[in-house]
Amino acid sequence: MEAFLQHLLNGLLLGGTYALLGIGLTLIFGLMNVVNFAHGEFYTLGAYLTFAAASLLRVNFVLAIAVAILGGSLLGALCERVLLRPLRGESIDTTMLVMIGLWIATQNGELLAWGGVAKSIPHPFPTAPIVIGPVSVAPLRLFVLAAVLVLIAGSHVLIHRTRLGVAMRATFQDRETAALMGIDVGGIHTLTFAFGSGLAAAAGALLGPIFLVYPSMGDLAALKAFSVVILGGLGNFAGATLGGVILGIAEELGAGYVSSGYRDAVGFVIIILVLLVRPSGLFARAGRVG
Amino acid sequence: MRRWVLTWIAPTSLALVIVSAGVAQQDPIKIGVIAPLSGPVAASGNYVRMGAEIARDWINARGGVHGRRVALLVEDNKSDPKEAAGAAEKLIARDQVPVLMGAWGSSMTLAAMPKLEEYGVPMVVETSSAASITKRGNPWVFRISPPSEMEALGLEKYLGALGIRQADFMAVNTDWGRGAVTAFGDMLRRHNAGIGAVEFMDQAATDMNAQLTKIRGAGGDTLFLTTSVEQITLVLKQAQELRVARRIITTGGSSSPSQLVKQAGAAAEDSYHIVFFMPWFPEAMPDPNLAKAFVDEWTRRGNPFEGLTEGFRGHDGIATIAEAIRIASRAEPQAIREALWKVSLMGLNGPIKFEKDGPAGRESGQSRPSIFLVQIKGGKAALPAFLRK
Amino acid sequence: MQHGVARRSAIVLLAGLLLTTPFWLPNPYHLHILIMAGIFSILALSLNLLLGYTGLLSLGHAAFFGIGAYTSALLALKAEWPFVAGFVAAVMLAGGSGYAIGRLALRLRGAYFVLVTISFAGVASLVSVNWMELTNGPLGLPGIPAAEVAGFVFRTKRAVYYLVLAVAGLAYLVCRRLVRSRMGRAFVALRENEALAASVGVDGARHLGLATVISAGMAGGAGSLYAHYTRFVSPEVFLFSYTVTMVIMVVAGGKGTLAGPIVGAVIFTILPEALREATSWQWQMLLYGVLLILTLLFLPRGIVPALTAWRDRR
Repeated sequence: MEAFLQHLLNGLLLGGTYALLGIGLTLIFGLMNVVNFAHGEFYTLGAYLTFAAASLLRVNFVLAIAVAILGGSLLGALCERVLLRPLRGESIDTTMLVMIGLWIATQNGELLAWGGVAKSIPHPFPTAPIVIGPVSVAPLRLFVLAAVLVLIAGSHVLIHRTRLGVAMRATFQDRETAALMGIDVGGIHTLTFAFGSGLAAAAGALLGPIFLVYPSMGDLAALKAFSVVILGGLGNFAGATLGGVILGIAEELGAGYVSSGYRDAVGFVIIILVLLVRPSGLFARAGRVG
Repeated sequence: MRRWVLTWIAPTSLALVIVSAGVAQQDPIKIGVIAPLSGPVAASGNYVRMGAEIARDWINARGGVHGRRVALLVEDNKSDPKEAAGAAEKLIARDQVPVLMGAWGSSMTLAAMPKLEEYGVPMVVETSSAASITKRGNPWVFRISPPSEMEALGLEKYLGALGIRQADFMAVNTDWGRGAVTAFGDMLRRHNAGIGAVEFMDQAATDMNAQLTKIRGAGGDTLFLTTSVEQITLVLKQAQELRVARRIITTGGSSSPSQLVKQAGAAAEDSYHIVFFMPWFPEAMPDPNLAKAFVDEWTRRGNPFEGLTEGFRGHDGIATIAEAIRIASRAEPQAIREALWKVSLMGLNGPIKFEKDGPAGRESGQSRPSIFLVQIKGGKAALPAFLRK
Repeated sequence: MQHGVARRSAIVLLAGLLLTTPFWLPNPYHLHILIMAGIFSILALSLNLLLGYTGLLSLGHAAFFGIGAYTSALLALKAEWPFVAGFVAAVMLAGGSGYAIGRLALRLRGAYFVLVTISFAGVASLVSVNWMELTNGPLGLPGIPAAEVAGFVFRTKRAVYYLVLAVAGLAYLVCRRLVRSRMGRAFVALRENEALAASVGVDGARHLGLATVISAGMAGGAGSLYAHYTRFVSPEVFLFSYTVTMVIMVVAGGKGTLAGPIVGAVIFTILPEALREATSWQWQMLLYGVLLILTLLFLPRGIVPALTAWRDRR
């Protein structure tokens, strides 16, 4: 029982991190229909920027995270303008492949710039765990969970309650009509990609201190992000959150009670099963097509 | 017609011209090095390369081998077995190197090995520890790193002092990790110690809480940990968060205690590490002067101190190869292979001398490396209390 | 008439070039690159059937390759089947798993299909790592015998080159036959507008199912060749990077064309090796990524369609 509660808590915390990875991608993949294999690289970038700010420039931890988010957004905007805008109207495979190119180039660029040795980001939280009855948890993890909830709620409000959000959704549902209504369609594309990239950088900034920072850290993150987005339904923040938590708990229990070697298989099997039963994700609204 | 020429022949022939360009030099003795310079274990691969470069420069400063300079041809295996085989093929067939060193990870070494037999070129294996490498009957393989069995035997003499009654295992899910679990498990069973949980993790995994929670419930007194230094860091930190109170012993020699102190901080305190080189106290190494000189040269070059426990492998590998070429007095694969059997050399790790291993008639060479145990105490690597005089 | 003669002489020239390659390019390293290019040509052709003709983006193609490689390797090692039988079994087993994925494709499109195929490949990869009794886990399967057909053993690089060339040529002919048949036109109709295709009587289920079976079977055959060429199979054959390489070859070469995947396979097998020669290791993959991006920014439809368009303009 003691172990089960700890597994459950672990799964919840892990799920929070997965949700964080998923919400940025659900915009880019879900709304913009870009199979963004470079998403993990914005995550890596966020982690390295936080490392540079917190460890090399010695700025405040929270400020360092803000720097990372800003840097991720700006670079996202740049990528959209330079790489995706010229290819608008080309097939989804072409843009996917450009993002694969970006993924390979940036990952090796990071290796060149930072070297292969993993970095650890200093943070102000105590390392001693908080013990509650049979379970224990690191303070940093609780902070990250709280930050994840704030980011998800904020993004949800931005997309569903603001004029900008309305313009975003309108643009990706019906481009021509949106343009006729006077929406700056090109600007919305750039902004959405920047926002999604900023969220990926935020994930890197928040998870970097928990784990380690190294050039290939984004690969696993991107894979998990895709899983979460599909489980939750494309473009759905609440779905991505729940999808992340389900994935986290399933992996944790699978590794705890079935076999740790098959840990990642649990997530894959869940995706296959969910899509067999509900072909458009667990929480998709009707009528949304990939 | 034009379309045919354009779509088929033009790109093909253009590409072939690119590959065929470039002419190899003849003058220095070429030694091929295959290491993971990019990918998940890039840090370790680069340390090996740095160590190899020091050995090369030392040899050349002494006038080379039989008056010829030594040159390293370093190829990246991208931490990928397919690339390791490709790199071996390229070094042997294209660059005509007479001898290789490589390829860090066991799966990469195993993938490169068929190429050695195909072309008849010897390779000194500097890091890989899977038992199968010297058991397959590949007579071109000469290993200076210890297989897991040898490492387990090295730890055996400290078992009494450590007082292990029940051990749990956590290992990366590769032939290296699985091999270590078998080897150390067998050794412990011979001493009537119990084996509790055996957990594996994916090479790229970052969250090991599930495995650690299971180990916490298994109730052993010691956790054997076999993986890269990055994952060891994560496991130590997460074990602290989950209050997994265990004696932790890492195996494989790639744990870099100095890096753990830096990155895992207090979570690394009291953990034990099997290492094959102790840069913190070179005076305790089999050849103190050599060890001291290497540590000094490494620091002088601005290489990170925490890379020394990995970098020494590159030095010993190249030194072994250079000695074989000296004995053979010509840089030809067959001659170097025969000479490798005659090598008797003091390396950074200790004496290097090959014994026969594997099926009769097709034996590989296996040296008997020295094995050391250090403990992190007060944020520093130290000899364990029971070894201090 | 003139055109026909020119075209025929071009085919003869190309065939002559390919058939004599081992004689004017004797270095085994170069032959090795060409053999890998040939194996990847088969893979790219097979992925192109799905990606280029039916529009199904399968990102789990490495699974079929891996299943083929393991099937062939295990049958040769444990049951001592001859190469040809193992090859056929590899094609059939990979094709069978393709059938299962094809069934899924009926229900799922776009992003969802992508994820199901990734997940399928992920599960296959983890099974190969963890099912120690069958696959020998991460240790892999060493000592796979060289391919043998009617008593002839393909031991040398030169022999393997011709074997791979023959199988790749066969794969090309199968693809050409298929896409120029009624069935190929049905594939394209389904890709362009599924509802419209259905309304004129194209049986989507049957065609998509068949496309995935043939495509997966071809990838399985490539896996079998790979296993008997490298003589060593390990779980790395399931790696996502193999799939990525195949997608690069198909899309950058020109999806939906017959020549595109082969041109892509040849160029993108040679490119990393050429970069190995041209620059130091730090820059290889960085430049590879940049070159890939530039290729697509300037030739978004791929190399072959761009060359065709350029010729037509002249």
